[in-house]
Amino acid sequence: MTDPDTASPSPPPRHLAHPVFSASRVATIAAGTVTQLIRMKTFYFLLAFALLVVAVGNFNIPATPAKELSMIKKVAFGTMDLFAWLFAIVSTALLIPRDEEDRTLYTILSKPVRRIEYLVGKLCGVLVILAISLLAMFAICAVMISMRESAFISAELSSMLSQERYSEDEIRQQIGLIQAQGMRPELAVAVLASFLKAAVVAVVTIFLSTFASSSLFTIIVSILIFLIGHAHSMATNFWLAETENNILVRMGAKVIRILIPDYQLFAFSEGIVLGEPVVWGLVVQMALITAGYLLVFLLLSLLVFVDKEF
Amino acid sequence: MTDPAVDVQNLTKVFSAGLKRDYVVAVDNLSFSVRPGEVYGLIGPNGSGKSTTMKVVLGLMAANEGTVKVFGRDSGDIRARNEIGFLPENPYFYRHLSGTETLQFYGKLCGMRGRELKERIAELLALVDLEQAAKRRLAGYSKGMLQRIGLAQSLIQRPQLVVLDEPTAGVDPVGSREIRDLIMKLRDEGITVFLCSHLLEQVQEVCDRVGIIFRGRMRREGNLDDLISIEHQTALTLENASPAVIAEIEEVVARHEDVGIVGKGHPRTTLERLFIDLAGRERQKGDES
Repeated sequence: MTDPDTASPSPPPRHLAHPVFSASRVATIAAGTVTQLIRMKTFYFLLAFALLVVAVGNFNIPATPAKELSMIKKVAFGTMDLFAWLFAIVSTALLIPRDEEDRTLYTILSKPVRRIEYLVGKLCGVLVILAISLLAMFAICAVMISMRESAFISAELSSMLSQERYSEDEIRQQIGLIQAQGMRPELAVAVLASFLKAAVVAVVTIFLSTFASSSLFTIIVSILIFLIGHAHSMATNFWLAETENNILVRMGAKVIRILIPDYQLFAFSEGIVLGEPVVWGLVVQMALITAGYLLVFLLLSLLVFVDKEF
Repeated sequence: MTDPAVDVQNLTKVFSAGLKRDYVVAVDNLSFSVRPGEVYGLIGPNGSGKSTTMKVVLGLMAANEGTVKVFGRDSGDIRARNEIGFLPENPYFYRHLSGTETLQFYGKLCGMRGRELKERIAELLALVDLEQAAKRRLAGYSKGMLQRIGLAQSLIQRPQLVVLDEPTAGVDPVGSREIRDLIMKLRDEGITVFLCSHLLEQVQEVCDRVGIIFRGRMRREGNLDDLISIEHQTALTLENASPAVIAEIEEVVARHEDVGIVGKGHPRTTLERLFIDLAGRERQKGDES
């Protein structure tokens, strides 16, 4: 023990300027989140996805090659979409409650880090992981579909040529039908749609985890919101259109319509998977709607999180 | 005049609990200040309001009433946190990161980069004696090692104030001693240390001043020597004194009416010191063999 009067004097404290928002701190938290999710071995789900896609790709459906290819594509892209939103919910729901439980949040927020930087950093980390996962899943699908496509084309070619009764035009037309259902660059837009949807799912989950008491609660409620979000446009239209419904039902329907994202909007990707042309205006519109959802839910999260006491 | 490192004035913190909206007063009109360069201990039993006070100082909680300043800045002001390093009780940190990566993460949060950060990390790993375990993931660290890496992260941006919540909780006596030595080292470097603990013996060893808090209120505060010394008694420790010498002293004491011997015997070491000595000797033997 020493006399405080003889203690070495502290150097004068630094009075550093502090930016309102630091992209570098956000990047640090995002990079930390990416490392965390990678080291939590979350990418194992990609293995499950690859096995599923390979299994689907080897189904023999009694249909024309074009139809069979279209079915395989539909199932593969549907599975990719399912894996993306499920992954967005589970990985996001674990982040903030775990930081709080381990007191890591205390040490982060006791550094010169603003709470908005923490939230945006976490979200960016999840979005990076989602993008990597979707690209990996797309690559798996692309390989599988391309392999099936060339197998179908070779089989069709040899069958038509051996029969010697088809003209060159007929053969080209038949091959064109298969190619139309095969691997096309437009399919990347369907992947983008899945990413946008998963991004909205992630930001809603972050919002829930700012006040939820456990990861399990966050996961369950996020899934519920996701399901309601797929049906709510239909349901609210029904409730709002019915004039016999009382004012409370109508108000409830309006609140749901405002608070819960309409995930059905992202269903435009299904048409692209089935070979419909891409409407770029719609893609831009969806990107803007997603940005709007991200902004609104981040602000709502901040409203809860900024005054949260730990 | 220099601002106090921590200045708490009339702090009151109330929590509402349960559906009945019952109120719990965690901290009640608490005032104290920590001078720059000293080691200040806030002691009290569990639930006395120590951690709540600490969280308000760190800006993790807001006061219902009163003011809390860190080097003259309101504790809610983010700039105040440039000067604060914090080690929570039983920290876990990110178990998937190694010691070096943990320090990199916290350093970057404080705006440090490149060579400056690299050198600081090497310096801190040496300070907390974790150079050998720097590349190991924290999932494989013992409690004492976690506490030491925690102390290192709290010091990463060279803060002027280090806030420690139960810094030796759950750590074995050797680890606990190492942490106390580190606290003394920080004090020698002029860093202010504000710690909360209920391990009184350890607080007594490192603190310059203490505040005793109970049910959210400050009961006693002051210089440790003044608080614990018994003014009307004097201790005399003799070495190699024969029974004759002792008898002589007793005779002298007996000659004075108001003076008496309160106790007599061999001074004892603490169990903790005995354990540390033994562990040190065994470790030395192991190193030699």
